[in-house]
Amino acid sequence: MNAVLGESGLGAPPLAARGLTHCYEGSNVLCGIDLELAPGSVLGLIGRNGAGKSTLIRAMLGLLEPLSGAACVFGEPALKLSDAAKARLAYVPQQPEALAWLSAQQMLDYVGRFYARWDKAFAKNALQRWEIPANKVMAKLSPGERQRVDLIRALASQPELLVLDEPAAALDPVARRELLREIALRAGEAGATVLFSTHIVSDLERVASEVAFLHRGKLLMRCSVDETKERYGRLRLPARFASFAPAQSLSRRRHDDGGLSLVVERDTQGQWPEAASLEGARVDALGLEDLFVEIAE
Amino acid sequence: MDASLLTVQPAAPEPIYRQIVEQLRRLIAGGQLVAGELLPSVREVAGFHAINPMTVSRAYGLAESEGLLERLRGKGMVVASTRRSSQSASHRLSLLEPQMQALVRHAGELELPSELVLRRLASLLNK
Repeated sequence: MNAVLGESGLGAPPLAARGLTHCYEGSNVLCGIDLELAPGSVLGLIGRNGAGKSTLIRAMLGLLEPLSGAACVFGEPALKLSDAAKARLAYVPQQPEALAWLSAQQMLDYVGRFYARWDKAFAKNALQRWEIPANKVMAKLSPGERQRVDLIRALASQPELLVLDEPAAALDPVARRELLREIALRAGEAGATVLFSTHIVSDLERVASEVAFLHRGKLLMRCSVDETKERYGRLRLPARFASFAPAQSLSRRRHDDGGLSLVVERDTQGQWPEAASLEGARVDALGLEDLFVEIAE
Repeated sequence: MDASLLTVQPAAPEPIYRQIVEQLRRLIAGGQLVAGELLPSVREVAGFHAINPMTVSRAYGLAESEGLLERLRGKGMVVASTRRSSQSASHRLSLLEPQMQALVRHAGELELPSELVLRRLASLLNK
């Protein structure tokens, strides 16, 4: 039975969602999200606090039943995942709470038994490098230490699908860089698929192959990181040409002097909108962070 | 060559793969990298800078298609031994496109007549 399921999962995207909708106390958190990850891709999810990132992640993994829509993990319905599928997946929530009565060492020894590909040496080294008191009961660790232990647990299981909710928040810059290195190499070499949410855009720019902007429950944009940087720019128009502004733009801001700033896109020939060639107009390249700020305002 | 010779600025508007190609171009033009020199593997560069290996592969691939690098079977990427002039002039010209576009933009912002810019450019080229 498992073998049959496993085969049907072949070729299916590691993670896929269609039409996910959810609300808390009457206000919409997710408004019909479609999102699919190809094997080996690293998708960075950015959004402001409260944009719905954690809810989206939880709904995609079947940890929360959406109001409507559906999610699949390795081709199986997320809400009814088989044990086989669960073993190929690792998820690190923002605030891990499981098994808090064990010490980090005991927890890793315990859960390690359930994974066929558990990397014991990695777990041991990471505990030292990330300065976790290995024998202290986890309930007494700081939230940051707890999340680091959970990251070690997730990475040591060598998952095919790794899902991290704001992993950078708990790490100092050195440990963060190490985590990014792990993510990058596992995706690039082991072919792992990674979904992580963050508000530290430069982390995302390092390792992500794709970026998705979540804003007020909607996906504003989903694009490869390189393409996003090459395709979008900020067009500034002097006041006298404000009326020539292209109708299509991702954001539009009027300055005190009557000039306009717009986020514009190159067309299929790689050209900026016509207004960019007007006298006094200019297009500036936009980093992801600037782009995000411009369109999320 | 060591992976630390490259610098990566993830937050820059320029994609990382382009940053790498640009640096290779400069290191080779400046003689810091000589023909036949072995480049660090994709894994080394990706690991050192904590960036996606696909980004490094893409940079190496582009550098190879520009004739900067050559793939040596079983060894990896080395600095190409073929001289630049063996490439077509139009190809070499296309490498200047970003700088020329930037120049045109700046000239426009300074509201300089093109004649003036062209004359200066010509005198620089004929030096």
